[in-house]
Amino acid sequence: MSELRKRGLVTAVICSGPFLKLGQAQARVFGVPDLPLIVIQHPLGGLALADVKARAEAAIPKVVALFKERLQ
Amino acid sequence: MSDLLRMLKAPGASIEAADDFDGVNALYRERGWSDGLPLVPPTVERVERMLAYCDRPWDEPVAAIAPRYGAATPLRLAANAVMAGCRPEYFPLIVLAIEAMCEEPFNLYGIQATTHLCAPLIIVNGPVARELGINCGHNAFGPGVQSNATIGRAIRLALVNIGGAIPGLGDMSTFGSPAKYSYCVAENEADSPWEPLHVERGFPAEASAVTVVGAECPHNVNDHESLSADGLLTTIAGTLAITGSNDVFYKAEPLVVMGPEHAVAIAATYSKLEAKRYLYEHARLPLGKFSPENIERRFRNKFPERYAQAGLDALVPMAQCAEDIMIAVIGGAGKHSACIPTFGATRAVTRALKLRDGRLAESVQEFRRG
Repeated sequence: MSELRKRGLVTAVICSGPFLKLGQAQARVFGVPDLPLIVIQHPLGGLALADVKARAEAAIPKVVALFKERLQ
Repeated sequence: MSDLLRMLKAPGASIEAADDFDGVNALYRERGWSDGLPLVPPTVERVERMLAYCDRPWDEPVAAIAPRYGAATPLRLAANAVMAGCRPEYFPLIVLAIEAMCEEPFNLYGIQATTHLCAPLIIVNGPVARELGINCGHNAFGPGVQSNATIGRAIRLALVNIGGAIPGLGDMSTFGSPAKYSYCVAENEADSPWEPLHVERGFPAEASAVTVVGAECPHNVNDHESLSADGLLTTIAGTLAITGSNDVFYKAEPLVVMGPEHAVAIAATYSKLEAKRYLYEHARLPLGKFSPENIERRFRNKFPERYAQAGLDALVPMAQCAEDIMIAVIGGAGKHSACIPTFGATRAVTRALKLRDGRLAESVQEFRRG
């Protein structure tokens, strides 16, 4: 993901709340401290398919907003 | 000026603190450079004594430790070894273990950052294990011996302080594990009926080696009654066969630690490979023992060639092939063995202790400078 970001592509990592700090630290380690991190409700594992879809639906507006912001 | 003093003049390479045990420990705890236990202050003199057993440049990284991918220079490793209470002659094994666990097949990133409770287990083989007195007998996994306790602790401190395995930040383990304080043993080669682990894994008997395993804590196998190899292996296989192991879902290498008395009894009938085959064939659970969700979402999806159409009576092995079940002989007297499941998405890595010119080291004293 960091490589794609460095190449100028619009990129983001989607993670659940408890993993936000790990994601931020990894973004710094890989030289992309401004990598957008889109936070969804925890957990992601052990969900029924409907709940997975709900997580995705919650993330989609944030992803779209990111695209609009970065492509302006 | 010594080489070390020159290196320590680099920005951020050192800190100054009053020569006060409690003060240094408070400072280190405050900065998160600790496992919570008291640390030996890594003074210039102590670090230099540790580095006397390093035959390579002190400021050139030997590996990058995930998830921070911090540069593991001998200098940094030596500071952590001092903090852990190591004797300087332990240092070559610490460098070797760090190199081994930073090899790609080990998947240190996964092991450090996962929610699983695994920790790198270091198994030492060969003459250096005996030279350093690494406990392979009674209470080998427990306290009481300086080399076991402090080599494992030095590794943990390096994983935290260089690798960034800070709880809740770089180490996301749901529980953690007591093995994350220290997890270092030697194989009991003298009482083993089989070839040592490092020989089985391709190294000469005269080599000293470390094998690193991304491991859970040991789970005991009590069998005081079985007299036959088949009886003992039946009990061990029953303990291996569990529904909550990561190993079921990966190309994993679960570890069976055999107490010498069990191993000798089993070896009267089986070679080590035959014992592995027995365990592979018998450490199995019917698919129906797993939850419906795991059957549908993991087994049928991840291994469709084996389980897509399988009935609930289909038997699920605890490893993907017999050779993947590792066996090491460790411990003292007693009718016990132990099963050690792994992180699953990891392969054990074995590395031989070599001098900088590539020769196998016969003794840690060969690393000594000056």
